[in-house]
Amino acid sequence: MFTYYLALGIRHLRRNPILTALIVVTLAVGVAASMATLTVLRAMSADPIPGKSDRLFTPNLDNRPDDGSSQDPRPPDQLTYRDAIALKNAKPGLRKSAVMRISPVVAPSRADVKPFFGDGISVHADFFKMMDVPFIEGGPWSEADDARGGHVVVLRESMAERLFGDANPIGKTLRLDTYDATVTGVVSDRWEPLPRFYRLVSGPPPFRGVEDLFIPWTTAIANQMQPQGNVNCFSDPPPDAPPGYEGLKQSECVWIQFWVELASPSDAPAYKDFLDGYVAEQRKLGRFPLPNNNRLYDVKGWLDVNKIVSKDTRLQTYLAFGFLLVCLVNCIGLLLAKFTARSGEIGVRRALGAPRRAVFKQYLVESGVVGLVGGLAGLGLTFASLWFLRKQSEEFAVLAKMDWVMLGITLAVAVLSSLLAGLLPTWRACQVQPALQLKSQ
Amino acid sequence: MEIQPILLALRRSKTGAILVAAQVALTLAIVCNALFVVKARLATVDRPSGVAEDEVFQIQYAAAGEIEDRKGMQQADIQALRAIPGVKEVAAVNSFPVSSSGWGMGVTRDGKPGNEIPTGVYFSGESFVKAMGLHLVAGRDFNDSEVREVDDRTDTRVAADVVIVSAQVARKLFKNEQDAIGKTIYQGSGKEAQPMRIVGVVDTLLSSSAPAIDEYAHSTFIWPIRYLGATAHYAVRAEPAQRARVMKDAEKALSALRPDRVLINLHDMQEIKFRRYRHERAGANMLIAVTIGLLLVTASGIVGVASLWVSQRRKQIGVRRALGARRRDIVRYFVTENILITTVGIAAGLAMAVGLNLFLVSKLELARLPAVYLVGGMIAVWALGLVAVLGPAWRAAAVPPAIATRSA
Repeated sequence: MFTYYLALGIRHLRRNPILTALIVVTLAVGVAASMATLTVLRAMSADPIPGKSDRLFTPNLDNRPDDGSSQDPRPPDQLTYRDAIALKNAKPGLRKSAVMRISPVVAPSRADVKPFFGDGISVHADFFKMMDVPFIEGGPWSEADDARGGHVVVLRESMAERLFGDANPIGKTLRLDTYDATVTGVVSDRWEPLPRFYRLVSGPPPFRGVEDLFIPWTTAIANQMQPQGNVNCFSDPPPDAPPGYEGLKQSECVWIQFWVELASPSDAPAYKDFLDGYVAEQRKLGRFPLPNNNRLYDVKGWLDVNKIVSKDTRLQTYLAFGFLLVCLVNCIGLLLAKFTARSGEIGVRRALGAPRRAVFKQYLVESGVVGLVGGLAGLGLTFASLWFLRKQSEEFAVLAKMDWVMLGITLAVAVLSSLLAGLLPTWRACQVQPALQLKSQ
Repeated sequence: MEIQPILLALRRSKTGAILVAAQVALTLAIVCNALFVVKARLATVDRPSGVAEDEVFQIQYAAAGEIEDRKGMQQADIQALRAIPGVKEVAAVNSFPVSSSGWGMGVTRDGKPGNEIPTGVYFSGESFVKAMGLHLVAGRDFNDSEVREVDDRTDTRVAADVVIVSAQVARKLFKNEQDAIGKTIYQGSGKEAQPMRIVGVVDTLLSSSAPAIDEYAHSTFIWPIRYLGATAHYAVRAEPAQRARVMKDAEKALSALRPDRVLINLHDMQEIKFRRYRHERAGANMLIAVTIGLLLVTASGIVGVASLWVSQRRKQIGVRRALGARRRDIVRYFVTENILITTVGIAAGLAMAVGLNLFLVSKLELARLPAVYLVGGMIAVWALGLVAVLGPAWRAAAVPPAIATRSA
């Protein structure tokens, strides 16, 4: 019977073509608006490193001066050079890495590529394992390179191609600022965690820009590479402080991000205790004048506290779903009109012995068919809107992408909404009095 | 006008009436809030930066190697830029208004901690005011003896004794712009507070981040500092008609001067604004699209239900016509009926609009909805309902009286 109703539903699409078209368009527009915004919202609030996000932590230490100028309850969101070194060298934590964005001048050996500013990031060797960075050639540098500030570099796939063409880049060298670096590995272009949680504080927005080269953090420091991002100083340097880079390293300015991987999420309190202990030790040396106010954020907490999902996006999503709601109410009215026009038909069926249940089923199936058509049209419109959004900005270009889950959700939302919209008209159709209808024919 | 029979008829076809009223209510609620947000976004996009927008452009080079004689480089660049015909003013700057990249500091009136006003900081060894085309409302521009030189390789502090503040800073700290002149304020607070004397006030100057929330967007000050950093960053003011050509000439001139640097920014002020506000515009466009979609959908819903009623009541209409009702009366019947329904919907919609706004206020820190939007939305939805029902009502009026004599 279901297939028969299905066939009927499909055939009835062509009855009242204007009304049917109106329903389909209304549904499609509502679905497209809500699904396009939902796609963006979902991409923005996605877990950038699934399965591991509850084991990766970033510490914030409160080293601000005790002069009442620190109104913000949150401690600074990056670390000083000294603290980054100390946390890296301390025992707790499975893997640890400092993170500092850099932009060295890249001078390849190829004559046809001019020197340019690379988008780079300096990290410890642990970073690659910690962040599950996939290599297509070679691998990370060694911990010995971390220790001695080795002249090594890991390239992103597209950058390796730009610099070396088809040749295998492993073992080749390129000039960075003032030294020659040897390529130890090539990272796949597929590595594109969204948002870029590991360098959220400084540099380009969380959904834009990608690092083309990775070098040891110790090497970046040794070569006095300028940090590409915020340097926040809450207190002025002492009068005898050296100027320039050396002064920055000794200062209480925060400019380094730091990530630590723990064996399990339950180790977080112990690590937090370790941080508090470290700060207490440092306080004895005259640093950290404020009472302990250290934080340890996991990936999700870090994204939340940095307000990654913009309020505008939320607002647009709410309003788009409001729009879908209006479209549904509209569909109810239109379906009602469509079904009421067929009262006579229903009367005949009922008079010939069809129970209410059968009529109910038939018309619900018909609503579903309309919903499916509207949903397919909506899916097309969603793709069109996403395409349009991708043209708008670099950020939308990575965010406004449909995946299989969203595809399923879109179709499900369309069919469910049309079934929901069909309930009332269908129920009304069942209420048709056969006698009344037959009489007036 | 006899409302009684309309109400009686409505009681028999409640569902359609409720659907239309619900749709009207939801539409009103969403449209009011959406347009309110659109207005706020567009106001952000349109606000003046204080810069002479059709005259000024930005040109910036980053060093691709170690540049030793930074002062020499700056002077040679400025000289080369001034030599281009059509150039009115040139200044080496640390950052550019609305460009999303700049310096920020805290300013206090008394140097005591806790009251810092977040402030965007600009500095130049030349006249920043003239190069940007800013408007001084009180006091004067800096003179050459006040200019300090700061080299980021050797100097740890960046500060000057005198300052020009924006009117917003002046008004936050003092009675008015005039009152601020000659007063001493502090950069920072506590032990590190650095005094500086206000010599001038400019009426408008957006910060480089140009946040959408207005409270601190115009909170800025200017220092007479010749900053010798590794990048070469200039503001150039040219004759509006010649600016495009001057920009090309400027790139040629500066690129020819030294081979060891790379052009990273060359934008005119309109372009800088356009790039900064891309998100605000995209958001506004999306909401406008939703609003138009909503109005169309609601109109089509009203047309649908009204048409349904007209076709259901053909016989009754025929009877009324046969009994002497004029076409005008039939049209009036349907229009009145529609007005009744939309009015009920609007009443509910007003409450929902306020409710939705309160929800958005609590969730997204949106501002309260001004009553003007409610009134405007009300009139718009009302007019929409009226226009939408005219078509079906017209068709109802066209029903011939003879139909009353036919059976069905």
